Amino acid sequence: MDRRQFLAVTATSALVAGLPAAFNLHALAQPDLLPILGPEAVREIGLRYRELMPAENQMRALHAVILAARPWSARVPWLAGPSIGAMVAEDFAAGRTIVLQGWVLSTTEARQSALYSMLAD
Amino acid sequence: MHIDARTLPNGSVLEADLCIVGAGAAGISMALEWIGSPRTVLLLEGGGLEYEPAMQDLYRGEIVGLPYYPLQAARLHYFGGTTGHWAGFCSTLDPIDFDKRDWVPHSGWPLRREELDPFYARAQPLLELGPYEYAAGDWQRRDPTLVPLPLDPRVMWTKMWQFSPPTRFGARYRDAVIGARNVHLYTHANVCELEANESLGAIEGLRVRTLDGKEHSARARYYVLACCSIQNARLLLASNRRATAGLGNGNDLVGRYFMEHLEIPSAELVLAKPQSTKTKMYMLDYGTTKARGELSLSAQAQKEHQILNGTSSLEVGALGEPVKSTFQFLPPDMIRQMMAWEKSGKKGPPPLIASLPPSAMAPPPTSPRVFHLMTRQEQAPNPNSRVTLSTEKDAMGMPRVRFDWQLTELDKRSIRTYYKLLGQEMGRTGVGRIQMRDWLLSDDRTWPSFISGGWHHMGTTRMNDDPKQGVVDANCRVHGIGNLYVAGAATYPTAGSANPTLTVVALSLRLSDHLQSKA
Repeated sequence: MDRRQFLAVTATSALVAGLPAAFNLHALAQPDLLPILGPEAVREIGLRYRELMPAENQMRALHAVILAARPWSARVPWLAGPSIGAMVAEDFAAGRTIVLQGWVLSTTEARQSALYSMLAD
Repeated sequence: MHIDARTLPNGSVLEADLCIVGAGAAGISMALEWIGSPRTVLLLEGGGLEYEPAMQDLYRGEIVGLPYYPLQAARLHYFGGTTGHWAGFCSTLDPIDFDKRDWVPHSGWPLRREELDPFYARAQPLLELGPYEYAAGDWQRRDPTLVPLPLDPRVMWTKMWQFSPPTRFGARYRDAVIGARNVHLYTHANVCELEANESLGAIEGLRVRTLDGKEHSARARYYVLACCSIQNARLLLASNRRATAGLGNGNDLVGRYFMEHLEIPSAELVLAKPQSTKTKMYMLDYGTTKARGELSLSAQAQKEHQILNGTSSLEVGALGEPVKSTFQFLPPDMIRQMMAWEKSGKKGPPPLIASLPPSAMAPPPTSPRVFHLMTRQEQAPNPNSRVTLSTEKDAMGMPRVRFDWQLTELDKRSIRTYYKLLGQEMGRTGVGRIQMRDWLLSDDRTWPSFISGGWHHMGTTRMNDDPKQGVVDANCRVHGIGNLYVAGAATYPTAGSANPTLTVVALSLRLSDHLQSKA
């Protein structure tokens, strides 16, 4: 998938789901990890995640599992649900973590990294 | 009083009320307590007042287990003992370290941390430390710029270390010991055998040899072995004239349960917001810093995850750069160079600069972003990690040591779990992310070639009230032998995560009180 296709999928997803901007594909593909670890490390993490989770190695599938992991308050359009950052923190608090390339990461940010790696590819 | 045993007529008999074998941190701490008492003390030191290669060679041994540091370089064999090159790191054991933990086989001390507290407080000035305060809050009150990271205390906490100058016991206490009328220090006096009575219930005397071939004997009411974990075990095992398995070894425990602190670079921490994250509390400016924190696992987390006690220290670095383990950082020739540098008045840069990682050569960043995390973890008590006698003998005719350091799966699983929990805490609080090093990601049985300890030798004559589970009792007396005691880290049933010296001195003071009450 090239960048043009990616943007098309992003726009479509957002329109169809009526999602807040923070949860559209494009936003999700920019994890907060990027400024911490740098783009190359995040890309490698994403590639490793896709390797380990072949069932999620598809943009729509990744988007769907991230959305499905949202707490109920984030799914009600008129409520100001938690941000993606809060979801990541909640992952860590609940022990929903995964070790990729040695990094201890929240499951959500690992999926975001996978999205990022798709875009980078 | 000081006498070089080589100057005595052959066959001399040395006598006193108390005989302490070994003049390191434990032996000297005890001897100081007896100065001015009506009792006399023999303090027998195998080495001289200064470092001598021939004396060090007596400590050489055969290494058959995991890779280890050369034994003749890991301990110093002269007055002052290994304090002659220690780094001065001091902290207390935690209350949980004394508990019997059902997930740690062979754990549990026959005493509580509270019983040791008054002795810790007394040990502080001997080691030239600050006040007996080891809570992060105490140090934050002294210096508000020291701020602990916002960790959940149910998972992680900031454990404080204090730094001794470091006290070189040989130099610091030489005059006090030599000037004491009732303490008789004999140097070059190597104890090669303990002689028990026929029933094996008491020690009647010690055989003392010098490198020039003389043999003396020493007699006292009470004897204390204080010549480090490996040598204490060696001496008991080699004293096999009447007890073929060695003295105090009726239950095949002497020499077993040797423990180290696993000191090894294990992970890296990358801060999310370096500008606003306060890390000063965890920084060490060696020679200047009085106290610093390490990231320590809570008792609750240890229990919940069934793992060992451990900490990690933070060292400013760069992502992905090679970092040396403790043994790699200070190879034997580097230690010798450092000792020479110190003895010459610390002229010029310290030689160990050559061992530092590349990032350490750059000026320290004002807001460091990356830290190397260095593990310091107890190892699980393991009967197969042990000291036995080699068939080879040293220049005194004493069997050398056969040293078999062994680790278990629990040791490695604990380190990995520690970093996973630390990673979760760093992520939850937004402090940053943790990356474990490759060696930690492999299976629990494999250890890297650079596996390293802290030169902390513990166990070998462990403490337990049951003679079938320990060599010494809660008073450090060898089970079944009425007048023989062991001082030092050899008595530790478990190691905790704290460097051993402070506890060595505290236990020695406790033993000294016990013996004074009997004498």
